[in-house]
Amino acid sequence: MSLQSASLDRRNFLRAALAGAVAIPLGVTLASCSTGGGGGATGQKSAKNPFGMADNTTVDAVIFNGGYKTDYVDFAGKILAKEHSGSSVKVKPETKIATTLQPRFVGGNPPDLIDNSGADAIGFNSILDQLEELQDVLDANNLEGTKISDTLYPGVLTPGEFDGKLKALNYVLTLYAVWYSASLFEKNNWTPPTTWDEAYELGGKAKAAGKYLFVWGKEAATYYQTLVIDSAIKEGGDEVRLNFDNLKDGAWSQDSVQKVLTALKKIIDAGYVKPGGSGTQFTAAQAQWSNDQSGLLYPSGSWIENEMKSQTAADFQMTGTPEFTVTTGSKLPQTALRSTAGEPFAVPSAAKSVAGGKEVLRIMLSKESATNFAKTRLAPSIVKDTVPDDAFGSTALASQISMLNAAKSDTFTFTFVDNYGTNTDQLVLWNAFLDGKSSVNQLTDGLQQISDKIAKDDSIKKITVK
Amino acid sequence: MSLAGSSDVRGALASAPGGKVTPPRRARRGSGRRVKRWNFDRVTLFIVFLGLPLAIFLIFVISPFIQAAWYALTNFGGFSPTYQFTGPANFIKLLGDQGVLNAFLNNVILALVVPIVTIAIALAFASAVTVAGPSIGPIRGIRGSSFYRVVSFFPYVIPAIIIGIVWSGVLDPSHGILNAVLTSLGLPFDDFAWLGDPATARISLIFVMVWAFVGFYMVLFVASIKSVPAEIYEAARLDGASRMRMTFSITIPQIRDSIQTAYVYLGITALDAYVYAQGLTTSGPATTQVVPQKILLNLFHNGQAGYASAIGVASALVTLLFALVVFSIARAARGRDEGRA
Repeated sequence: MSLQSASLDRRNFLRAALAGAVAIPLGVTLASCSTGGGGGATGQKSAKNPFGMADNTTVDAVIFNGGYKTDYVDFAGKILAKEHSGSSVKVKPETKIATTLQPRFVGGNPPDLIDNSGADAIGFNSILDQLEELQDVLDANNLEGTKISDTLYPGVLTPGEFDGKLKALNYVLTLYAVWYSASLFEKNNWTPPTTWDEAYELGGKAKAAGKYLFVWGKEAATYYQTLVIDSAIKEGGDEVRLNFDNLKDGAWSQDSVQKVLTALKKIIDAGYVKPGGSGTQFTAAQAQWSNDQSGLLYPSGSWIENEMKSQTAADFQMTGTPEFTVTTGSKLPQTALRSTAGEPFAVPSAAKSVAGGKEVLRIMLSKESATNFAKTRLAPSIVKDTVPDDAFGSTALASQISMLNAAKSDTFTFTFVDNYGTNTDQLVLWNAFLDGKSSVNQLTDGLQQISDKIAKDDSIKKITVK
Repeated sequence: MSLAGSSDVRGALASAPGGKVTPPRRARRGSGRRVKRWNFDRVTLFIVFLGLPLAIFLIFVISPFIQAAWYALTNFGGFSPTYQFTGPANFIKLLGDQGVLNAFLNNVILALVVPIVTIAIALAFASAVTVAGPSIGPIRGIRGSSFYRVVSFFPYVIPAIIIGIVWSGVLDPSHGILNAVLTSLGLPFDDFAWLGDPATARISLIFVMVWAFVGFYMVLFVASIKSVPAEIYEAARLDGASRMRMTFSITIPQIRDSIQTAYVYLGITALDAYVYAQGLTTSGPATTQVVPQKILLNLFHNGQAGYASAIGVASALVTLLFALVVFSIARAARGRDEGRA
């Protein structure tokens, strides 16, 4: 056989190639269109098994592995294994929730329980109709026999409610405050400020001591946005919050917001904010506050103690104080708090064992698990009365409980940043503002444009907040 | 997407010389005669040399392209298997999206600046280590040229993301080595955010990218310059040409193909630039936001996979356009030269 006789002529070769080029992707595309649905095996419902989890279930839980780690879910898993012999919980710690779970949601095989949290969380409005309602978890009794809804702090369900339906249970009580070192303040005879004017004054004292009032990091520049919005809501009342959350025209131009921004700008212009934050990684910036102590105050959620545990100076005595108001005549009292819950746990409807996912939640909300969480994480869960008076020796946790008690029912939260995933775009503007590179007007216009863009985009599902 | 795009171009470039070789043909064939005997030989040949590579290429390269192009025309959210066809709505939205348009502008600026700067520096180094040596004796590079060649190649050995992380540490405002050096020299760079300040962020990004690429392209140009006959340089030297003149009148015209290839590669990398932008400034100023960051943002965070696909398709078109422009300019330049000759 000669080589020549075996050669293909080029036209045939190309023809075959072309045929393949058309056929294969079409096939792949068509195949990808057919996605399966879920459901789930169920077992007998009983008082011990209120959701009817099937026997010998392995609950598949994908848990965000962040500041709170994931072993508190393992703890609940062990209790589940004890309560239902044969069943167990497989916890998969994950930092990139959206990236990992996207193919599983599209493919119709999502896990039974997810903790949709962290920088790579899935925007809730894109998966809402694929999530189970969790009202029956609240209606169920915990392991001690008390109805779960009676054991929770007020207001903690709000961030998981979408159009009146509870689609996510946020497990960790998170409150937003301004944090400082009680020992440092005591040594210098400083008092934590309650208004923006006092903060400005403290900035002057900090400068005299060779320190700055605030520090910030590039990925966390929007912590100052949280401070500004909370402060404006305390100043101007509930209406301010609704205008933000419902993406109202001119929300950023509201009087109380402008007053707060102007006050912050005054602090920035006075040089009381440590420069260079827009180029500093955020945990490095936080360490400048908690370890180097070159900054006095840091606005953050209550996860901060846990996050900086290994990088906090000895005898720092981290303590929180409510966010500032503009005047003493604010609509909400100065003690009012943005208190919400974080770490949203959700159960996808297409999961193999919807009942299993709910059962894990029920156990997590029982006394033993919740107390374990508070004790090991030094953060309160949404379950009441799990933190003793000594707060396990944590000044930060003790101050959280006392702030909560002082706020009474004056707690609020805002959700538009999380609902519409605007944080990434807003960061750019906040970095420039804290850097002193932009004016209050430029910041206002930029932030308003971000809200307006979403408000005008019909392809984005809106969540009405009341 | 542009990663695959670059391999695409690489494939096209690699196959170019092969195109000149005409495959052996049968001497004569009747026009109506179609001899197609599917013996074992033919079938295995088809499978091994056509079927397998083609299947891999189609499944892993072309089919995602087609899928992305299809999703670009839908309101696919990325998490739900149901979606509707929306026509060009995503592309219309893109044209009104300042953030994304700005990212495109940044990528285009990178694609213009990074290749030119990189090629200029790489060419200067390459000339220095090959032909710019002492002007007596044989044509050779400066002393210690092989040492410089190895050293300048080092950055290319480091993965891009490591380069990003290391440089973001170097450029850190409070603890970075650059500011430490500058302030110890008495310059006012205490706490200066190189990657945070809009005025310096873009230049810092370009600098790091150039730093990462120069070594590789220097080696590429060294290889090309070595293939230029030394007699030409000797002749030029006898005629009294300066080193500058030799570079512009001999080196550059002789290795023009390499430069053109380098320009396309670098341009495509700069039209991506994701790793460098993300590694250096995760949420930096608007001047360092690049298109792939916007794609990921919309894909995973905002739940707008259809829109993200549309941005991806637009990005692929820009990349193709870029290659087209570079090749057209090169062809025009060559045509002019040949016309003169």
